[in-house]
Amino acid sequence: MRVRVVDSGTYSEPVQQALERVLVDRVAAGEVEPTLRFWYRETPAVPLGRFQAYDDEVEADYADERGIDVVRRITGGGAMYVEPGSVITYSLYLPRSAVSDDVEASYAELDQFAIDALRDLGLDASHEPLNDIAHPDGKIGGAAQLRTDDAVLHHTTMSYRLDTAEMLRVLRIGEEKVSDKAIQSAEKRVARISDHVDASRREVVDAMIEAVGDRYETFEGELSAAVLADARELAAERFATDEWNRKL
Amino acid sequence: MKRTGTVKVPDGKLVEVTLTGDERIESARVTGDFFLEPPAARADLEAAIEGHPVAVDRETLVEAIETVDARLIGFDAGDLADATLEAVR
Repeated sequence: MRVRVVDSGTYSEPVQQALERVLVDRVAAGEVEPTLRFWYRETPAVPLGRFQAYDDEVEADYADERGIDVVRRITGGGAMYVEPGSVITYSLYLPRSAVSDDVEASYAELDQFAIDALRDLGLDASHEPLNDIAHPDGKIGGAAQLRTDDAVLHHTTMSYRLDTAEMLRVLRIGEEKVSDKAIQSAEKRVARISDHVDASRREVVDAMIEAVGDRYETFEGELSAAVLADARELAAERFATDEWNRKL
Repeated sequence: MKRTGTVKVPDGKLVEVTLTGDERIESARVTGDFFLEPPAARADLEAAIEGHPVAVDRETLVEAIETVDARLIGFDAGDLADATLEAVR
């Protein structure tokens, strides 16, 4: 399969999340090639899981005060705190026929190129079911998927050099909600790529682009003006509105 | 009256059910860090919980939840029933 690699474009969080909807639908319709996209952000943000309750996850006053954009994703899973340059987020938009129907297997498969790249750089990274990339010291990142009839969106965020103290101020990681103490401490433990390898963020992304070339026939590309126009419109209609972001 | 029940699935996700109603479950809200396909089925899961008396048994709830045509990922009908029972008890 030929996969376009898009490694450019800096957008607001609502536009980023709108692009997920636009691109998965266009790949499903066969209008856009299968694509791997790396994200570049404008501001700190909290991408919220589709089914999460806003007030359970976010210290809303603190986020407002710090200009942190809280945006509900189209994928399930958990909330994250992200900052420009301190995380690596990527998205795969693939035809459904190219992805295993076994959900658990597909998380492992679609994150494998990233794990390969981290391992090539000397990091002890591995897949941890269902949807985590783990290191012996903690969680490096997490993935989330949306399946439509004809396409799969798989997006993953990994911590490169995240300010974890700020993360704990922004996110409400409620102790009363977590019965299993071991899981609780694991969730609080973030393993950062920069703590374990001497590579810049750019070098990590380059290693990932090289690694994905071992799995697919890749070529470089950019998002079209039409896709971006759709995403900006959808961001204004939905992903920048309280109606969507605070609906739960 | 508004009550919440939460289940953390071992090696899985967190499911929270928030209910209103005194003798019967009038409204249910299902939230958490789980995955669900299709996403719109969240409303169907809530509808499957609503309408039961608060003294509902687990088996009845599980059966009602299992009639929903959806793929529950990171949790199952039993977990959602348990969160509901925690909220009503």
